[in-house]
Amino acid sequence: MENLTVGAAAEWIRSVILLILGNELLTDVVMKFVGLGACIGVILTAAIVLTYAERKVCAFMQVRLGPNRVGGRFGLLQPIADMLKLMSKEDIIPDGCDRIVWALSPMLLFVPSALIYGLFPFDEGVVFADVNVGVFLLLAISSQSVLPFLMGGYASNSKYAFIGGMRTVAQMLSYEAPMVFSLLGVVMITGSMRMTDIVAAQAENVWFVLLQPIAFIIFIISATAETNRTPFDLVEDESEIVAGPFAEYSGMRWALFFLAEYANLLSISILTTTFFLGGWHGPFLPGVFWFWMKVLFMVFVFMWFRWTFPRTRIDQMLSFSWKVLLPLALVNMMFTGIGVYVWRSMM
Amino acid sequence: MFGKGLITGMRVTLKHFFGKKETFCYPEEKLPMPERFRGGHLVIDYKKCIACQLCSMACPNQAIELKVVTDAQRKRHLTSYIHHMGRCMFCDLCIENCAIHGLHWDQNYEISAYTRDAFDYEVLTDDDRQYLKEVMEAAAANPAPPIVPKKPAAPKPAEAPKPEPKKPEENKETEVKPNE
Repeated sequence: MENLTVGAAAEWIRSVILLILGNELLTDVVMKFVGLGACIGVILTAAIVLTYAERKVCAFMQVRLGPNRVGGRFGLLQPIADMLKLMSKEDIIPDGCDRIVWALSPMLLFVPSALIYGLFPFDEGVVFADVNVGVFLLLAISSQSVLPFLMGGYASNSKYAFIGGMRTVAQMLSYEAPMVFSLLGVVMITGSMRMTDIVAAQAENVWFVLLQPIAFIIFIISATAETNRTPFDLVEDESEIVAGPFAEYSGMRWALFFLAEYANLLSISILTTTFFLGGWHGPFLPGVFWFWMKVLFMVFVFMWFRWTFPRTRIDQMLSFSWKVLLPLALVNMMFTGIGVYVWRSMM
Repeated sequence: MFGKGLITGMRVTLKHFFGKKETFCYPEEKLPMPERFRGGHLVIDYKKCIACQLCSMACPNQAIELKVVTDAQRKRHLTSYIHHMGRCMFCDLCIENCAIHGLHWDQNYEISAYTRDAFDYEVLTDDDRQYLKEVMEAAAANPAPPIVPKKPAAPKPAEAPKPEPKKPEENKETEVKPNE
């Protein structure tokens, strides 16, 4: 069982590279690139698996079968077919668009989505950068994805794209606040912003979903809004503004937006697992199995939300954030502070 | 309670997620048609058919073209039953009028074709023609006695003289053409 962990796999890769290179420092450098490759690999695999999963979950909830032609009875090769289709599509550049900003937007959007994977603890000791301000850095990086949306929306020279871009800013800024305040409760109990410390604190006591149920709910809601998924998909809602900031993109550029979207979906599932569901901890099985089981469950929950709830109106969405979620998060934070103070003074 | 509707919705979608799916994988799986579905080709129970031509006569669009033959035993049989599907409006009158209840639809809804000629569908199968051949041979081997008109035993003044029935001409095809 011990050999099944990701850490053991990394050790094995390291020993092989050391054998080839024969230099400790060089091996460390190469190992950093291996870690980067692993993070990128996780994202790309997630994009492939999650597009398929989303279509299947959507279909099953709508009493359909979903993809069932390409690649056998279960349509397992559907993501590959979709990918080939997207790559072979014409790259349409709209008239009068701001070329450079327009071309930069999908690439820049992918950067923060991919960057935060470096901070996730996938297993015991398997974290690319275990920073002591992990939570802070994570929120700082992930909030950068507002700008590329606005860039894409503005540069497309299209009314729908522009409205979508404006909505993104409004939505992401509104939901950033309750999300941060809900996480503060977790950070206060742990007494550390390091991601591995948060996971370790849950292993010692109980999962934070039991200690901080309100924070959990607030986090789930604002995470759904942060990733622009239904019921908060006002950024890209098909029935009102075509596809929001993506409306003028086609082919691989559009695929990059999609990649970022699924990277975000996976990363909020990972964050929920890390902050509230005890990370990689669990009995019997190796940590990485527990980690991915919890993450995939959370992915399913977010897909479940998406195919169940209707879309909110823009004013409802904003007032819900500022008038309900933010005060609730503040009250929760206050009571957590009192609780932590009482607990510490009793100890 | 706030959010009760959300929970209800999620329960419904979860039930559907694990429930039975309604999709039929069409070319591989065919949708079962209800019993009274009208469509497809006509199917005739040839062994029961008495070639009464009621179906053809009932057709409002003259979509049924029959060829009838009389055998040596003075029984009529169909040699050809052409269903002009392009003209048919699937009103079911032919089936309702069938004297022996031997006509029905095969309920196949994949009847589209590229040419108009392909819609002139011959209902009789090779088996039916084989059966016709056997029946004709059997009848020829054992022909019915010719009809001898009965002479009235005693002339009745009140009764008009009966028209003499024609002797059927053996094996002559009579074609029933729809009125153009």
